Amino acid sequence: MIALEFPPINEILRWKDLFESFNKISIIAVLAATIGTVVFLLAGRQSAKTAPRGIRNIAESTVEFIENGVVMQTMGRDGLGWTPFLLSLFTFIYLCNVPGIIPFLQMPATARMALPAALALMVWVVYNGAGIKHQGFGGYFKSVLFPPGVPKALYILVTPIEFISAIIVRPFSLAVRLFANMLAGHILLVTFALLTESLFQAKDKILIPFGVLPMGMLIFLTGFEVLVAFLQAYIFTILTAVYIGGAVHPEH
Amino acid sequence: MLTAIVTRSGEAAVSVRLVQTDSATPTEVVVSAETEETVLPTEAEPMMMSAEPVSDAVPTEASEEVPVAAEARALSAETGTVEVVDAGPNPIAPEGKELMWTFGPFLIFLILMRYFLFPRLRKGMDSRYESIRSDHDGADAAKADARAEVAKYDTALAGVRAEAAQRIDAARQTLDQERQRAIAEVNARIAAKKAEAEAAANAERAAAQAQVSAAVTSVTSTVASLALGKTADAGVVSQAVSEAMQNAGSRS
Amino acid sequence: MEALAKIVVKAAEAAADPAAAKNEAAAASAGFAYGLAAIGPGIGIGYIVGKAVEAMARQPEAAGMVRTTMFLGIAFTEALALIGFVVFILLKFA
Repeated sequence: MIALEFPPINEILRWKDLFESFNKISIIAVLAATIGTVVFLLAGRQSAKTAPRGIRNIAESTVEFIENGVVMQTMGRDGLGWTPFLLSLFTFIYLCNVPGIIPFLQMPATARMALPAALALMVWVVYNGAGIKHQGFGGYFKSVLFPPGVPKALYILVTPIEFISAIIVRPFSLAVRLFANMLAGHILLVTFALLTESLFQAKDKILIPFGVLPMGMLIFLTGFEVLVAFLQAYIFTILTAVYIGGAVHPEH
Repeated sequence: MLTAIVTRSGEAAVSVRLVQTDSATPTEVVVSAETEETVLPTEAEPMMMSAEPVSDAVPTEASEEVPVAAEARALSAETGTVEVVDAGPNPIAPEGKELMWTFGPFLIFLILMRYFLFPRLRKGMDSRYESIRSDHDGADAAKADARAEVAKYDTALAGVRAEAAQRIDAARQTLDQERQRAIAEVNARIAAKKAEAEAAANAERAAAQAQVSAAVTSVTSTVASLALGKTADAGVVSQAVSEAMQNAGSRS
Repeated sequence: MEALAKIVVKAAEAAADPAAAKNEAAAASAGFAYGLAAIGPGIGIGYIVGKAVEAMARQPEAAGMVRTTMFLGIAFTEALALIGFVVFILLKFA
């Protein structure tokens, strides 16, 4: 049989520090911010008069995707002021997800809890802050904890649920969704890569051709991860937009 | 046969796992170095680690870790089954350094995007859309101008057509008048000639009648004198002849 | 059968050591935890997408809105499966 030993989970997720507290995850995060900045900087440099080409085309279609696909669908025209925030959120998450399938990097930075947790925390602060700013402290918490249209007696039941769902579960599920999706994808890729390698290097020569099967699966899953990287960035962004929209304009 | 698997990962200095691969010789510790890369000589790695602590781990932690691992090794050498899993935090717990390295780049990216990159791109897009719209409007205006031109040409054409039709009518009228006049002239001439011929014919007829009546009268008077034996009154005879002739004329 | 025997032997060995026994039990139940957690969301996501396709086929002009709402619904439903996955990781590796 083949000797297949799955490495301990931390071995495929944690990395040596290059220097004090700076590891591969940090490299990817810094790279994502840098690449995002450079792309939008170069796009801004190009002439705006002619039809957008190359890098400007990418940047403009991202902007239009955020405006038409996220903001207009969830907040309407009033929410267009939130575009820069959502745009940087989307770009950053996407650029942190994509290294999971880039050769030699092979690690989605969002598969570590730190990155989604930090972003979800930031989103939590932003949507609560926006709600308090627009409705006042009392008004915001009243609209969150005592949703209108509910019989008075039911508030005993509704208020704790609403509190838990709006204040605790939202950021938690936002972070866990992104983290778990990327971690699951990463573990899947590792599993099939290990299987492929051990089949190709099997002592029993008859097993070697079967290595093609997990390799095909690996290629398919890599393609799938491209989709997941985009989809998770989109879902994180659109949920952020929904939360902000709900906090700014509560349904009366 | 026991195989010691020593792995390095993350902050943890080392992890030592002793895997029992053959239960026939449980107490014999064999360091096997031939199979995989993860199976390393047991001594070399911890020696290196203790001599030079991993850069991210605080020195005290590292110096703590090594004895723990060594102890575990000692323990496992006795029992043969204890597994010391890689220390290092829970894969789900966010790590402080990674949180920090997420917040930093993302906040910088967000601020750059909010105040510099996005407004510039958006301005370019807006100006292009504006220019496209103005071009559109210009095209519309040009189209309207062309339409007006066409309308003017049409009216001019209609005027010219009307004039031409008028001229043709006038010419036709003149022609008609000319013809009428010519016809009338010819008719008049024909009528004069007819009248002349009629007058001549009438004169001749009258002359012939006179001769006829004279002859008839003479004949009649001769006949009457022969029959009566006396000369007939000339007046009565001529009157009777003329009456008879008139009767014959009216009868014939 | 051999594998079953191995498990029995392992369980017997583990009984000697409570910590190891706990690890064994956690590792075994981790798979169950994830499998059970995936059932509900699997059905739910299938239902959501099916309904969304139906809605898009009935009213193609509302496809954009339906798609956005569909992704939102999927995200909320999928969270349950993902929490199951996290529990799996916690049981298996923590």
